[in-house]
Amino acid sequence: MSECSSCQAYRLEMKALDDQILRALSLNVPELNMPELPDIVTSNVVSLSARRRFSPPTWFAMAATVVVAALIGIRFVGVDHQTLADEVLAHLDHEPQALVVTDVEISDARFRSVVPASIASMDRRAGLITYAQSCEINGRDVPHLVIQGEHGPVTILLMPEEKIPNALPLEGDTVHGVILPVGSGSIAIIGVREERLDLIEERVLKSVTWST
Amino acid sequence: MGVFHRDMYRYAAWLSRDKAIAEDVVQEALLRAWKSLESLRDDAAAKPWLLTIVRRENARYFERKRLETVDIDNLTASQAALLAEEPDDELDDMRQAIYELDDDYREPLVLQVLMGFSTNEIGEQMGLKQGAVLTRLHRARAKLREQMVTA
Repeated sequence: MSECSSCQAYRLEMKALDDQILRALSLNVPELNMPELPDIVTSNVVSLSARRRFSPPTWFAMAATVVVAALIGIRFVGVDHQTLADEVLAHLDHEPQALVVTDVEISDARFRSVVPASIASMDRRAGLITYAQSCEINGRDVPHLVIQGEHGPVTILLMPEEKIPNALPLEGDTVHGVILPVGSGSIAIIGVREERLDLIEERVLKSVTWST
Repeated sequence: MGVFHRDMYRYAAWLSRDKAIAEDVVQEALLRAWKSLESLRDDAAAKPWLLTIVRRENARYFERKRLETVDIDNLTASQAALLAEEPDDELDDMRQAIYELDDDYREPLVLQVLMGFSTNEIGEQMGLKQGAVLTRLHRARAKLREQMVTA
């Protein structure tokens, strides 16, 4: 069916108008500049509100968090249980979104779904838990939690079936951690270098009881 | 999320009609999105999800600042910057005409022409029925045509 000439003219006029509107709306956008990122230090991570007013362009703040997480570069310093340590470390790289500074606690429902009674009981007073996800480590689903430490996010992996004979220290350029033997399993705790992990270890160990 | 920063910025700029405010709004929106990333279940929905957050952040910003409507003859530097992107008289006229549109008309136009949203998606984004969206889009274009003819 052929289009009437006035209809065609109108359609072309509207098309030209839309093209013009699109060009007018397509503002120049400042580049998403990624700064040279320093190590994670207190001034960068302790306060979300403190990060809110950088000089423009400012939206790189969040993207920077991703890069900080990706640049952690931790390495395992033990000689045994290389696979478990490798899995733990690889997992940190795969889930950088967990390492965000926030004061928003996860819900009880979320916590219970990730740390069900069938795996462990855990007192939430161990710290401000801001992330919880069931993750696969060494072929097993384990609770991956993040609590907010004094100097930044601290990763906790509850591994009820990963028995190890001794504590496995982990060292990195900007972070440190440990995999602790706990009964028939183990718990990995990793935070920024400034973090007093011994204090967190004590609280976490007191708060967790395996169900099996 | 950085992939969408251009869309987020442009949407924020046309909502707020101010480049500096747009940068603040995008920053807050990204932080908020990052904190609630868990709620994004479908990667394909990332763009409308982020634009919804931008929209809310923009509303929060204006709520906090209690900003009034913009007087086109008395713009701040960052407001004026939006209208002075490049030396092109025709584009400048169109940009000013869009700038002067009521929010109710400008926003659906941005979502359709710039973001590629369907009228149904615009309705969801703005909490409007599809018919209302179509009406607003028609009136927005009619106003722009009128403005451009008289410019």
